[in-house]
Amino acid sequence: MKKTTTDRRGALNETQVWQVYARRKYEEPLYEIGNVMADDVELAGVYARSIYDEFSWIEMVLVPRASMVTVITS
Amino acid sequence: MTTTTRIDHEALFAVLSSLADNKQAIGRRYAYWCNGAPALEAAVAAAAMTQDELGHARTLYPLLEDFTQADPVQVEPMTRTLHYHLATLDEDFVGWCDFVAANFLVDTALTTFFEAAQDSSYEPLRQRARKVVQEERLHQVHGEGWVRRLARTGGAVRKTLIASLTRFWDETLCWFGPSDDATLQRLFREKIINANPDELRSRYLQKIMPVLQSLDIEMPVAFNAGSQRWDTTQPLPWTRWDTTSRRLE
Repeated sequence: MKKTTTDRRGALNETQVWQVYARRKYEEPLYEIGNVMADDVELAGVYARSIYDEFSWIEMVLVPRASMVTVITS
Repeated sequence: MTTTTRIDHEALFAVLSSLADNKQAIGRRYAYWCNGAPALEAAVAAAAMTQDELGHARTLYPLLEDFTQADPVQVEPMTRTLHYHLATLDEDFVGWCDFVAANFLVDTALTTFFEAAQDSSYEPLRQRARKVVQEERLHQVHGEGWVRRLARTGGAVRKTLIASLTRFWDETLCWFGPSDDATLQRLFREKIINANPDELRSRYLQKIMPVLQSLDIEMPVAFNAGSQRWDTTQPLPWTRWDTTSRRLE
């Protein structure tokens, strides 16, 4: 069966979520500013920098959501 | 009263015109995809890259005014009727693969030139080159990331990507000019850039080929183990290349 354009776009859907943390001052801790979806860590970095460009961050890090461990949940 | 001495330098004027027009054309083509990318994140990145490209063009056009070769009508992007950008940028991108191919091939080729101008004897270019190279790092990561992503998706997506890369290939390699290109050779002799056309082309291939090779995407080049360089394996279409506009006819 011939693949449709929708199928092809579906094949490009990103599946990995990356939590984005950043800080503006050295005396501040990193805090969560949002998330991006990308299956490639390099692209995740590009996306995070383009989307969360509202401040001149001194540090920005990405954490794969899949690596986060829930300790307490209600 | 202040007087400004205008620069009489046909070669530098020609290359600056080409750089400005290519940056302007890439920016306009990217802009079309700010709301058409496959994902919201990619759309935002496209918007950011559009701003960068148009910004680069805006810093280059005013330099043209300093040259005796400048026609006042031709130094403003809004009134300019000469278009010295690649012919492959004349038309809108047909799909996202064209965006990625232009990002990966054309934008990287221009960055290769700016890298060679970071210690330029022409100060206005030196200053701009350093800023452009800094900003282009993210563009390069974006281009490489998407080439990998589209190639690994396989099937029709991979085929479309290869068709897009092929469409931009020849003209992008030609942009550096033939080995004896008088324009870039003069810039090299006068230390405005630190490489001749062949060296620039080689540096460019060294940047893009490892990515394509890792994805088994074959292009008409081969790695020469002796010289540790990539060489083209088929002649480039120099008979169709215009030395003034630095584009294929």
